[in-house]
Formats: sequence, structure tokens, C-alpha cells
Amino acid sequence: MNNGAGRRINGAAEEDDDEDDVNGDLDAWERTYTDERSWESLQEDESGMLRPIDNQALYHSQYRRRLRSLSSTAARIQKGLIRYLYIVIDLSRAASEMDFRPSRIAVIAKHVETFIREFFYQNPLSQVGIVTIKDGVAHCLTDIGGSPESHINALMKKLECSGDSSLQNALDLVDGYLNQIPSYGHREVLILYSALSTCDPGDIMDTIQKCRKSKIRCSVIGLAAEMFICKHLCQETGGTYSVALDESHFKELILEHAPPPPAIAEFAVANLIKMGFPQRAAEGSISICSCHKEAKVGAGYTCPRCKARACELPTECCVCGLTLVSSPHLARSYHHLFPIAPFDEVTSSHLNNPNCKLQRNCFGCQQSLLDPGNKPGPAVVCPKCKRMRPADMHQLLLVTTLL
Amino acid sequence: MKFLIEDVTVYFPYDHIYPEQYCYMIELKRTLDAKGHCLLEMPTGTGKTIALLSLITSYCLSKPQSPMKLIYCTRTVHEMEKTLAELKILHNYQIKHLGPQARILAIGLSSRKNLCVNPTVVAAENRDSVDAGCRKLTASWVRALASENPDVAMCEFFENYEKAASAAVLPPGVYTLQELRAFGKEKGWCPYFLARHMVQFANVVVYSYQYLLDPKVAGIISKEMQKESVVVFDEAHNIDNVCIEALSVSVRRKTLEGATWNLSRISQEIDRFKATDASILRAEYNRLVEGLALRGNLPITDNWLSNPALPDDILKEAVPGNIRRAEHFLHVLRRLVQYLSGRLDTENVEKESPVGFVASLSSHAGIDQKTLKFCYDRLHSLMLTLEITDTDEFLHIQTICDFATLVGTYGRGFSIIIEPFDERMPHIPDPVLQLSCHDASLAIKPVFDRFQSVLITSGTLSPIDLYPRLLNFHPVVSRSFTMSLTRDCICPMVLTRGSDQLPVSTKFDMRSDPGVVRNYGKLLLEMVSVVPDGIVCFFVSYSYMDGIINTWNDSGILKLVFIETQDVVETTLALDNYRRACDSGRGAVFFSVARGKVAEGIDFDRHYGRLVIMIGVPFQYTLSKILLARLEYLRDTFQIKEGDFLTFDALRQAAQCVGRVIRSKADYGMMIFADKRYSRHDKRSKLPSWILSHLQDANLNLSTDMALHIAREFLKKMAQPYDKTGSSDKKTLLSQEELEKLGDGSMHEMSY
Repeated sequence: MNNGAGRRINGAAEEDDDEDDVNGDLDAWERTYTDERSWESLQEDESGMLRPIDNQALYHSQYRRRLRSLSSTAARIQKGLIRYLYIVIDLSRAASEMDFRPSRIAVIAKHVETFIREFFYQNPLSQVGIVTIKDGVAHCLTDIGGSPESHINALMKKLECSGDSSLQNALDLVDGYLNQIPSYGHREVLILYSALSTCDPGDIMDTIQKCRKSKIRCSVIGLAAEMFICKHLCQETGGTYSVALDESHFKELILEHAPPPPAIAEFAVANLIKMGFPQRAAEGSISICSCHKEAKVGAGYTCPRCKARACELPTECCVCGLTLVSSPHLARSYHHLFPIAPFDEVTSSHLNNPNCKLQRNCFGCQQSLLDPGNKPGPAVVCPKCKRMRPADMHQLLLVTTLL
Repeated sequence: MKFLIEDVTVYFPYDHIYPEQYCYMIELKRTLDAKGHCLLEMPTGTGKTIALLSLITSYCLSKPQSPMKLIYCTRTVHEMEKTLAELKILHNYQIKHLGPQARILAIGLSSRKNLCVNPTVVAAENRDSVDAGCRKLTASWVRALASENPDVAMCEFFENYEKAASAAVLPPGVYTLQELRAFGKEKGWCPYFLARHMVQFANVVVYSYQYLLDPKVAGIISKEMQKESVVVFDEAHNIDNVCIEALSVSVRRKTLEGATWNLSRISQEIDRFKATDASILRAEYNRLVEGLALRGNLPITDNWLSNPALPDDILKEAVPGNIRRAEHFLHVLRRLVQYLSGRLDTENVEKESPVGFVASLSSHAGIDQKTLKFCYDRLHSLMLTLEITDTDEFLHIQTICDFATLVGTYGRGFSIIIEPFDERMPHIPDPVLQLSCHDASLAIKPVFDRFQSVLITSGTLSPIDLYPRLLNFHPVVSRSFTMSLTRDCICPMVLTRGSDQLPVSTKFDMRSDPGVVRNYGKLLLEMVSVVPDGIVCFFVSYSYMDGIINTWNDSGILKLVFIETQDVVETTLALDNYRRACDSGRGAVFFSVARGKVAEGIDFDRHYGRLVIMIGVPFQYTLSKILLARLEYLRDTFQIKEGDFLTFDALRQAAQCVGRVIRSKADYGMMIFADKRYSRHDKRSKLPSWILSHLQDANLNLSTDMALHIAREFLKKMAQPYDKTGSSDKKTLLSQEELEKLGDGSMHEMSY
């Protein structure tokens, strides 16, 4: 990865830009260049030609890593299916920086939205809450709950950034909330951290130990650079720490948190949980909804224990506190316990070999396995049926299918 | 793992080895075979120490008949402990594979301050008073007195050690200073004298540079070492300065006053002895007639011994007649002190050669060269005779005698400079007379002559061809290795312009320009906003640092910073707090000075130093008379151009500073050289090759905002997880099989 070579810049042009930066009064067309630095997405190849930066190698290595982590978990491993996740969003001054387009916070908000939807899709039995850090103080934006819409709406209304950021305050707040949840739930925090420092009122090491004691798994996604304290936090609490390179990478990283993580061994005691499978009320029946406190017509669910009406599933009954789910939700959670086996990689020389009687098209989508340049792209083969698929397809299968 | 290098089986305690370690060992092996000296440069963090230790010990093991011994010189006690700890791992590994025949004795030797276990003695605050405290309890006459009078205090540890006599030996093994102390406490033996005694039997001795280079101590400690020994100077990039310091003396007004006081005390003592026991003085006189060399059979505690740097004949020659009598010697010293204080009264800066100085001394004070030459030994002999134990009180007169001996002995390579005041503060009279040594080869010459192989190694020895000239020796091997990295984990940049495109530099005519100061401030400020955790910032001098910080403070662009000061305690505290701030995620900036203590000895690895900014080129203070004299000498004697030497010296300091951030391959860090002069080829090319190889052409002429952008990208890239062993074509960790394959290949190459 020699992105550095791509940074060879025409000195004169650069100087102009810099002067403009100082003057601060740029024309709109100039600003697009100074801001985007589009020349930096180019790199020189061996023959001196310009071409877009090749992130293929990077992506491929990430794919390999994911496979490895999967294969290591392929053995029977317990997974926490009922998760209580707090998303901590850093709204400090650093979040308003413009190195992500249009700004860090806009990118964060956009992908948090996708993440929340994805999260509930994959973990229907889990719940999410949002905490924001601003001016060195942590606020609880939404209480922990199972409705994606309410979280997203609340978040979109509050996107102003200012002040410093305090990791300790956020962790203390989250720790207080997560201590109240029932013992079968898995406590997790996902911190989206823009700042490069933390201004804390006390010793953050104590707080980290506290989190560790209350078995909260803390993961951090940084937007700027690696920070020691975040790394330390993740190591101590068993979470993962990653730093986003660009927007698409950020999206990938945040979505990696959607499938349930392996359960912490000492914490993974099997537990029986009482659940109700409510019936969908008949069309046209009128009843008072227990969640919105107003009369509604049709399309609701009735709690099997107290007969109260709930608008959407999964949820907790507002009257008797019973967990209400539907059977597809259970099934969807269940598939995490049995991931599909990793596919074997096929080397490109193997593909090119004319003697080899392998198929040239993907078994799934019938597209050619060869790249547009007639060079073979990375391909994989299923260990069971020996049918070929391109590597991206396998990733798709891993991530999205609920087989 | 173990593997073969030519005919030597090397035992290496780890499962993997870096390719550069392997090459390093091959070069070392050749040096040992050729029985010559060598110079090797390898970046820090590549396991230099373990490669050295494992090759040399394995080499000794493969040739059991040769009495080869490893003398490993480090600069600090901390490094000494680290080296011994590594050796311990290696030793355990060798024992596991070879059994008891691999047993060696390895000890660390340090001053009494670090080794003493007597609680009353070690409580003293500095090294000299610990030494004196020890002498008060262990000198032979004190012990003789104590045998008659039980009230006289003695050191029980030393007594036990003496009682055990030849039974007091260390069983084979590796002893760190800590373990030596523990062993001494347990057995009730004095660890210091035990270690000193065991030095002649040990296979590996780890001690500080001074024990070999400083003529005052080298005689006591190192005279027993065999010729076959291998001497290693680790972190030796400043070795020429150490050599020079060992032979330089400065005399101030305070020294002279102290010396006068010392003299009057000595004369009182003499009178007292005359009154009570004149025979002792007479005995001394007789001894001196026979010559100094016969003094050697005094008990070890009293043993002071002499300069190996002095010509041998001095030791055999009889002391000149005019200083044999104690009173006469005192008169000579009085006259010398008087003469020196007369010289100090001058109004102008004076520079003189030793020959001229001696001539004027003999015409004004009637002291000839031969007398001067013997001052040092004569004084010690006198002090022994007078049974003076509180030697720390007598430092001043010792300094004077030191001075006299050096002036009397060397005609070349020195100069005497008298300055009535400090250049930088011309209003305060602070006269100082300096005898400064210009020739680093004088102090190190005996080492090269005496030992079969001398290895000089460090992370920064570039340009490597200059060292042999400075130290005046001929290495059989001199090589510089680069670091094989799995990823580009260092990112050096040369910043030539500020954000307003004006050049930045600490050149004399530009340094006080407010624009330059502001640009530096801005650079720091912007970097702080993109670099997490710790940033270290090196300045060229304390005065410049003070000045620039004041300006920044006035214009209000400072935040949480820690500053190195000349006070050690304060600096330690600042460092401690700096580390805490980095740990807790607050982030901090540490301001330090090139050539300071921090730049030499403290590591800023991992998050303690993600970025180091070198503000300016750390040239020496070029108007200093001493430096000018040295430059002149270098030009005349070794044909080294002034400019070349200055640049070399500045750049090695800069490299040393920025090298603080990378201490291992898993680490990463950025280095900014903020001065437009770094972009010139003659300066840049003197940086060590492991920095140069990562310095891309695109990063040679940056302005602040470009540097900022590069920093951002770099930090993001480095935060990604990576594969530690490296990809297939760029192996950075070799296992045993791969090494064997490589070994065959390289053998092949070499046969061509």
C-alpha cells in the first residue's frame, strides 16, 4: 500500500491552495478542490500512469480476517442473543470536522441509522439506547428500547457538536443504566469517538475497571487515530477497537457490530426466559394502545397474559412486563448459533488452467467469475457442493442470509 | 532456536529472528574471527542487544579453550539492568540446551551508590559522599584502629567479606545489580567488593563507559582484563564526547578557593603527624624514592591507582626530588593554585597550548613539566599516608592535580582556554579556566590497543565513516543495517515552510523573527489537534526553548505541556505527569532539549510518543571557544572540515531525538524535522539510513497544512490491524527452517 506515492503533488498548485486556505475567502469552485483533494485518490503505478488508489488488497485482507475470526468461532460457541446495547455518540467539537464528507457527524448519523435497523433485523430480541457526549457531559438521548424509529428520530433532532469529550462521564452514565438490566441480557457499549482526547473529572482507569466488573463489553470505533485509552478500554472489557479510514470503511466497521458477539465465558449461564407470543388482532377491531395511550383501529398485537394491546413487536408489555416476540424473530436470532462453514479460496492460476474443469460462472448469480479485464477475480468454492462463487458473494452470504 | 553461522552454533532464545539480526550476527562473527574492531549501526527496536549477546556467548562456547571474555559497556544503570535481564533469558536457554557446561558468570558492576547494602552509607545523597562514607568504614587504618578500639564504626558486610576471603565467590549465573545486592545481603558480604573481586573471573561483565574510558577509574577496575576480551560499546553514538569529557578539566574560582582550603587542612594534618608519628612520613618518602610503581601491593580498598592513559614510564620513574617531601609538595601546589588564580583574573578571553602554558608556569611559578606530571599520583600517595577518608571534601584539590598531570603529560590535542565570563551573560563575571581535550582518540587508544576486538554499536552512527577518523582506528567491518518492517511504521517529514509559506528555521538571523516563532507555534498547535496521546517536541537549546515558550505564552497558544528543565527532580516529575496524561487519554506535549537528558536516555515509545517534532537543527553553540579550538584541531590533525563535523554532530543529535519514538517494530510514530535546512542534501544525507529509507521525496519540502494532512492519513493507516509476520515476499520474522534456507542461499551468494 504505497498511498504515499500518490501524494506527489505539483508544488506550485499546492502553494496556491495554501495561500487560499489562509485567506479564507475561497470561491466555491476552489473550495471543492481544497476540501476534497481529489488528486489524493490517485496514485502512480510502475509506468507512471495515474490510476485510482487500489484498496482491493486492503479489502481482501479484511475479508480474510473475518473468515479467520469466523472459523475460530465455528466450534460451538455461546452467543449472547439478547443484547442490551448503548450507542455512545461523541458530539464534541471534533465531530464537526470536515474530513468526512460533509462532516463527521453527518456520516455518523447516517450510518448509525443503518446500523440500528440492521441491528434489530439481526437481533430482534435485543434493545438499544443512545447516549451523547457534548461539552464534556454525557446525556441519555433515548432510554433503552426496542423501537428503531424512536431512536433514529431522536438522534436526527440532536446533531449539534460543541465542547470537549469525556469518555469517563459516558461510561459512568452507561454503567449506571446497564446495571439495572436483567442478568440474562448481554451488556454492550458501542462508542463512536471522534475526539482525540478525553477530559475527565476523575481517574478513568477506575471507571474502566468498574465496567469490567459489571461485565460491560465496550467497543470503540474511532474516526481520527488510534488512542491508547480506547485501546486499553477495549482490551480490558473484551471489546474491539477499530479506526475508520473512510466512509465506506466506517460503515463496514459499524455493521460488524450487528451480529452478536461470542458471550463472555464466565457470564454465559444458560437461563430460562418467559416470553409471550401475542396474536395479531383482527382487522378493524378498535382498542386502546398501551404504548401510545390512544385508541387505534386494527393491526395490533394482544398480550397473551393481560390482553393489553401493543403496536409493534418485539417489545415488552407495558402492563405486565412480559417479553412479546413473534416466532420469526426467534428463528432469526437462532441462525447466529450455526454459521455457514467458510468457503475455500481458489487461486487465480487454478482458474486460468484450461485443463481444469471448473465452471467459469458463479453458481449463485450466473455471472462470469472473470473480471471485466478478463483477469480472474478472487473466487471461493463451497466445501460441501464444490460450486464456485466470487469472493464478494461469499461475504454476502455470510453477512446477510439467514440460512 | 539454534542455527549455524559458518562454524559457530548460535543459541538464540526466541523462536523467531529478524533478518537484520541475522546479518548483524554474521558481521559480528567475522569481526571476531578477524580479531579486529568494528562499527555497526542498527536501528533501535531490532534487538541489537540480544543479537550481540547471543552471538558472542555462543562464540565463546564454541571455542572453550580461548579465555575470551565479554566486556559490555552501557551508558546508564538502567541499560545495564536491561542488558543483564536479556542475558539471563539467553543463559537459561543455553543451559536448557547444553546443560551445565554452558554455565557462565555474568555480573554488572556499578558504583558503590548502586551496590552498597549498608543502610547508613547508602543513605548519602550523591555518589562521592557514598564513596567517602564507604572509605570511612573500610579503609585499612580505620579497621586497624577498630581492632583496638571497639567504638570505631566498621561495615559489617565488608568485614564478613574479608573474613570469608577466598571463599567469597559468586556461584556461576547471571546477576543483575538487584540480585547482587540481594545475594550480598543474604550472605552478609559486601556486594560492591565482591563484584569487583569477581570481575576478573566473570565471563561477561556489564558496566559503564567510565570504567574503561576514564583514566581515573579504568586502572582500578579494568587492569585485570585479558587481551582476548571483546569490548562492546553500546549506544555509542556519543563515544567521542565521553572520551573528551574524561580528559577535560575545568577550574573555576570556587575550585581554587576549595583547593586553598584543602591545602591548609593537609598542612595541618602534616603538622599533626610530624608531632605524633614522623616515621610514617619518612616511610612514604622512602617509598617515593623507589618509585610509584611499588605502591601496588596496598590493600584493595586503599588502592587508587593510576592512569592507563599515562605513558608507562611514569609509573617506573621515581618521583622528582622537589615534591618527595610532603611540605615541599604542598608548596608546589600552593604556588600552582596561586598562579592559576592569577590567570583567572584576566579580562580577556585567552587561549593557549599546553606547551606554552607549561613554559609560562615554569617561568612564573618555577614548576617544571615533570613535577606537574606527578601531581596526581603524589597527591593520592599523600592522602593515603595522611589517612584521609572523607575524600569527597578534597575534590577541589584533586581537580587541580588532575589538571596539572594532564597539562604536564600531553603536549598535543589539548588547549587551555580562559574565559572571564560566560558568553551569553557578559555582565556576570564567572571566570573559568578550561583544559579541554580535542582528541577523542587519546582516551580510547589504550582500549583499542589492549583488547583484541572492540565493537562500537548504536542506532545512530551515520555517517559511519567519520567515527574511525574521530577515534583514530581501523575497523575491519563497518556497516549500517536498515530495519525490515511489515508496514511503513515510521513517517519522517521535513517541514520547511509554515502555514503562511514563509520558511522556518532556527538559523541565527531568523530565530527571533516573530513570524518564525508564530509558525512553529501554529505547527505544534495544529499537530496537537490531529495526533492523539503523546507528542514530544525538541528544541535546540534551553535558552531558545525558554524564549519561544514565553512568546507563545504571550500570544496565548499554549495548552497542557510539560517541560524538561535542568533540574533532574523537576524533570522526572514532569515526565511522570506526562506519562499519566498520555495514559488517561488526556494527551500532552513534552518540551525537551536536544542533547538534554531526556533526548539521551528516556524512551517515548508507543502512545507516549506518536509524534516527535524537532524544531531547528541542533548545532552546537558555534561561538564557544572550546568548540572552535576542537574544530581547528580536527581540521589540522584529521582533515575533517569544520562544517562537516558540525553537521554530523547536529544530525546525530537530531536522529537520536527522533529515534526516541520507535522502540519496537510493532510501534509507529511520525517525525517532523522543522527547519528549512533539513531539505538540503548535505544535511539530510547524514541521517541514519533507516530514517532516510522512509523519507519519501514527496515529504521533503512540506508546509504545515500538508504535513497535517499526511499525519492524518498516516495515523489512520497505522491504526488498522496488521499481520505481524509480514507477507510472503517481505518476511520480517524468520523461523528456524526459513533461516536455514536463507543460510544456504547467503552462503552461496558470498562464495561469488
